[in-house]
Amino acid sequence: MTLHRKPEYGRVNRGKPINFSFDGKIYSAFDGDSLASALLAHGVHLVGRSFKYHRPRGFVAAGPEEPNALVTFDRGPGRVTPNVRATTLEVFDGLVAHSQNNWPSLTFDMGAVNDLFYMLFPAGFYNKTFMWPKSFWDRVYEPAIRKMAGLGPAPIDEDADIYASQYMHCETLIVGAGPAGIAAALAASEKPGRVILVDEQYEFGGSLLSTPNMVINDIPAWQWLEDSLAILKARENVTLLTRTTVIGYYHENFLGAVERITDHEKDLSSHKPRERLYKIRAGEVVLATGAIERPLVFQSNDRPGVMLASAAHTYLNRYGVVVGEKIALFTCHDSAYEVIFDLADAGISIAGVIDVRDQVSETIIAAAKARNIEILTGTIVSGTSGKFRVSSLRASKIEDGKITSTWEIACDCLLMCGGWTPSIHLFSHSKGSLKWREDLGAYIPDNPNENVISVGACNGTFGLRKIMTEGAGGSTEYQVNAGAFGSGIIPATFPTEGDPAKVKAFVDFQNDVTEKDINLAVREGLKSIEHVKRYTTTGMATDQGKTSNLNALQIAAKAVYKPVQQVGLTTFRPPYTPTTFGALVGGKDGHSFHVIRKTPMDGWAEDHGAVFEPVALWRRARYFPRDGEDMLAAVNRECLTTRCSLGIFDASTLGKVEVIGPDAAEFMNRMYTNPWLKLKPGSCRYGLMLGEDGYIMDDGVIGRLAENHFHVTTTTGGAPRVFRMMEDYRQTEWPELDVWLTSTTEQWAVIALNGPNARKLIEPFVEGIDLSEEKFPHMAVREGRICGVETRLFRVSFSGELGFEINVPAHYGRALWETLFIAGQKYDITPYGTETMHVLRAEKGFIIVGQDTDGTVTPMDVGMSWAIGKKKKDFVGKRSLSRPDIMAEGRKQLVGLLTDDPNIVLEEGAQLIANPEQSIPMDMIGHVTSSYWSATLNRSIALAMVKNGHALTESNVYIPMPGKIYKAQVSKCVFYDPNGERLNVI
Amino acid sequence: MLLIKCPYCQEDRPEIEFSYSGEAHIARPLNPDDLSDEEWAEYLFIRSNRRGLHHERWLHAHGCARFFNALRDTVSDKFELTYKMGEPKAQVKK
Amino acid sequence: MLSELKIDQAVELAPILTGEVDLLPVQTRYSLRVKPKERCAFIEASNIDLPAQIGKMSVQYDRVVLCIGPDEYILICSLAEREPLARKFEELMGKYIFSATDISHRNVSFILSGEQTTNMINVGCPLDLSLENFPVGKCTRTIFESAEIILFRMGKTKFQLETWRSFAPFIVGYFEKYCLQNRGK
Repeated sequence: MTLHRKPEYGRVNRGKPINFSFDGKIYSAFDGDSLASALLAHGVHLVGRSFKYHRPRGFVAAGPEEPNALVTFDRGPGRVTPNVRATTLEVFDGLVAHSQNNWPSLTFDMGAVNDLFYMLFPAGFYNKTFMWPKSFWDRVYEPAIRKMAGLGPAPIDEDADIYASQYMHCETLIVGAGPAGIAAALAASEKPGRVILVDEQYEFGGSLLSTPNMVINDIPAWQWLEDSLAILKARENVTLLTRTTVIGYYHENFLGAVERITDHEKDLSSHKPRERLYKIRAGEVVLATGAIERPLVFQSNDRPGVMLASAAHTYLNRYGVVVGEKIALFTCHDSAYEVIFDLADAGISIAGVIDVRDQVSETIIAAAKARNIEILTGTIVSGTSGKFRVSSLRASKIEDGKITSTWEIACDCLLMCGGWTPSIHLFSHSKGSLKWREDLGAYIPDNPNENVISVGACNGTFGLRKIMTEGAGGSTEYQVNAGAFGSGIIPATFPTEGDPAKVKAFVDFQNDVTEKDINLAVREGLKSIEHVKRYTTTGMATDQGKTSNLNALQIAAKAVYKPVQQVGLTTFRPPYTPTTFGALVGGKDGHSFHVIRKTPMDGWAEDHGAVFEPVALWRRARYFPRDGEDMLAAVNRECLTTRCSLGIFDASTLGKVEVIGPDAAEFMNRMYTNPWLKLKPGSCRYGLMLGEDGYIMDDGVIGRLAENHFHVTTTTGGAPRVFRMMEDYRQTEWPELDVWLTSTTEQWAVIALNGPNARKLIEPFVEGIDLSEEKFPHMAVREGRICGVETRLFRVSFSGELGFEINVPAHYGRALWETLFIAGQKYDITPYGTETMHVLRAEKGFIIVGQDTDGTVTPMDVGMSWAIGKKKKDFVGKRSLSRPDIMAEGRKQLVGLLTDDPNIVLEEGAQLIANPEQSIPMDMIGHVTSSYWSATLNRSIALAMVKNGHALTESNVYIPMPGKIYKAQVSKCVFYDPNGERLNVI
Repeated sequence: MLLIKCPYCQEDRPEIEFSYSGEAHIARPLNPDDLSDEEWAEYLFIRSNRRGLHHERWLHAHGCARFFNALRDTVSDKFELTYKMGEPKAQVKK
Repeated sequence: MLSELKIDQAVELAPILTGEVDLLPVQTRYSLRVKPKERCAFIEASNIDLPAQIGKMSVQYDRVVLCIGPDEYILICSLAEREPLARKFEELMGKYIFSATDISHRNVSFILSGEQTTNMINVGCPLDLSLENFPVGKCTRTIFESAEIILFRMGKTKFQLETWRSFAPFIVGYFEKYCLQNRGK
């Protein structure tokens, strides 16, 4: 039993002692302790240094609102979490935690000099200071500020934990399992429909855990709690989630909640996720999120040992820990008397009660008298003393708003109660409107924007009986022994004795914002609380001002002589409490991060050493290096082998769409620029698709398999958007057409064979198709069988060589590829990837949509007017081709480029200029879109978009690249076999 | 995440099944060649960008794969109603 | 010389998935579209039972027909049925206004079963899978994380999930994680 642990008090498991380490020192604790309660049990109040001034700080609260006691929770490499609130961190055997923001140590902190130079850190100091010289910001000021000010260091190791996420659905979601939430759950679960009850703490009960003396319906509070939870557990429609924080409330009752699963467990070897993100869709939401006690704003209210009255209550009754041996209370509200009476009844010496109000009720006076507690009314605390812990307070008598006398009272703990702030965070996320309750000095929920109700303290309802009855929705009347919750006043600010400019009365403990900072901001002209917030940073720390917002608001309102409602309220945004990135990622890491689509032949490529590249969601083989080849060597070899003999290429990623129906040809005619009505079944055509704006959208070879049946191919990356655009026109513009589209991209594995030996290779394997030049000419398609498997065989070429594209049902792709590869050995067949494909097509001047075009390029710009059906009345994009800006002179046009030095491969994206002598900035006339080394031509080649390029053939252009300006001659786009003779090799 | 009632599926379905497809009730002119450049530009580029109730096209992409029309409040983000393609333009209640 | 090529669905199931996730062998699958006013006549002529409403499915022998759009159906049956079906569609083409596209190899199918099945699906799928909201016999196209799926319920704790071939490993990866985290086998 430690010195500060009270026997007979608390819910911690004294039968289960454990040890933990804080700042390297080993302490004992009990199962059920929070890190805060365990440290307080050892009399440790000093746990951190403040953000800006490095002032010593201790525990203010006992729950998630804690602004000060942020620690680094250290579970070893990859498992370090900074800025964890010690008040919510469950202690387990072997827990390791460190204090933060101090160097070299908590008790001797160099940064504390900031406190002496506080005049350097007024409100808005970031904005005002460090402005000059500009270059100092990056190099001097920012690094220094980052070192001095700040919270715990961000972890640098990769997260070693795993995370998960899960969608959930329920009819009723109840957030908060205090008395209101449990009453709501009992009532809701009596009806059919799924009920989820969540609470951020590891045990249900909320405020009941701190008030064991309450009696509910003649049953002691803790017994009632146990009974009620047993009832809920037994109901099949109820899901109970502890350690689960609802972090955000989104549209249509969609809420995010994070369950902490392993942070309280010693064992790290389990497969359990550390945290799970629940994405909950609820029919109705019941918010029972309670209220947070408000600190009072007075000089040196941040000294360790100064804490909220409710916190002391929780430490005593829930954890059996007394927070001091001689405790004083400073209050403006009745509710804190229950705390001081409980402490007195536990045998703690009470140094006195300082109550701002001139009068308190007779009941309170009587109860205090019975315990020998002195109440000083009309009195304030005007300061505190003590090095790392409060040792005395200064009490000051107030008359007519002025201090008339001041004296010291010795104490080792000062409790404060400035009233209560309903926790409206989630209601506010859901965009419900708020209303001001003058008596509470706080906002409460008004008109909901979702199907939500707020019950209990978060709704501004106080007093256990009222809270529980409201929670039950009136269905159950609860009887409790507790007296009235009482009332209080909202003083906002207090008079001071000394120079107000030197008083440090903290409003936002975590961001070190004081009352005078807020006053200064108002004096400097910032009248809206949103501006005051940004200028002073009040409420902008990781606690989002849970304890400070209302005080800041009251102070600002007072300073501008306006009612609080006119000063406004800052917006609450998710997450309610700081949330790990891991939880938000929710298991979508590694291979689950995004889809990597693989073709049927991908495994073969991997086995054969392919280097891959991502193309849209696909990964495609880029090249197949042999014996230590680099990319250039591999591509040169792949190109030459293909041109001389045979190359095999995986074209499965090409988008494929089956267009079927009586109006299929008409539909194609409207979608593509080319004429389709007269294309004969068995023939193919290159199809060009425009957007309605006239710019090239996609292209691909399209085969007509029957009168009413087309096999359309699209680019790999364009497949989804082309399909969607086609569906859009089909459904919404031309619903009268009888035609349907089906994506068959993944139905077919596609093997492209290119090279003079292509026909010879497949001949022995093909059945039912006459492969002869006469019967199966270039741009034809046939159905038959290959290796016994059905195939759609296209005679097409994207390389300029004799080419076939063999479509087989996807699951046969790899086996067919392997068969052809083995049979191709006698032709020295080479597999090639996208890089060689690009070189071969560039040698032929074939464009790649998205590389040579960029969404602002017309068919005329790339010299493809031939693809436009001149006699067609309409097609998508046709009208735009006669738009003035598209007809205008000076558009960029696709040309070839041949560098003077054939060994220079231009950079793709390099800019073109007409005259290298001009002054900077030069007039840029175009850019390189494709550029390669052509092994076939033994020189470099490039394609470029150049202003009026078609008229510039054989003129010179210049390309500035790092170090040098290169000269090139504009050429035709086709560099190789301009007459296309190689397509028809017999 | 919004819930969107698909008028074809007749169910409230999660927003991630859907994708937005621009302003609704802008029909492609039947004879584009008859339009002046200005009229064509109007059709191509000019949208109302309304604050408040807005007629929109949505696609139940990962569902029934149908385009439909909706009346949605661009301030609250919420859907007022959805209806099938071809049905008359929903009136905005004053 | 002309021999059948080996079938490869390119899906590997880790041992931990045993009993929870099974890969179906290759099925015959058709994407069927029928002009709504010809639906009844088409049913009669084809003897294929097309459900009348989106989200419904019909089961005939070992043949399942899912209605996943106003005029869109997915027919799933054994491999043996493929040839007769293909012939049937060829016969009907021209007589009725419809489209039939073979997508047998486009998709792979998983049978998901066990007490935890709905939770496992809800890892990536946002639909409410309670029996009330997703009863046995309901089918739909939906999404699992960023992968499109078709999901239908065959029993209280038994679903079939269809997805495009290249999305399958992505989805299976989630199932593996789920089983590992929740069963620790």
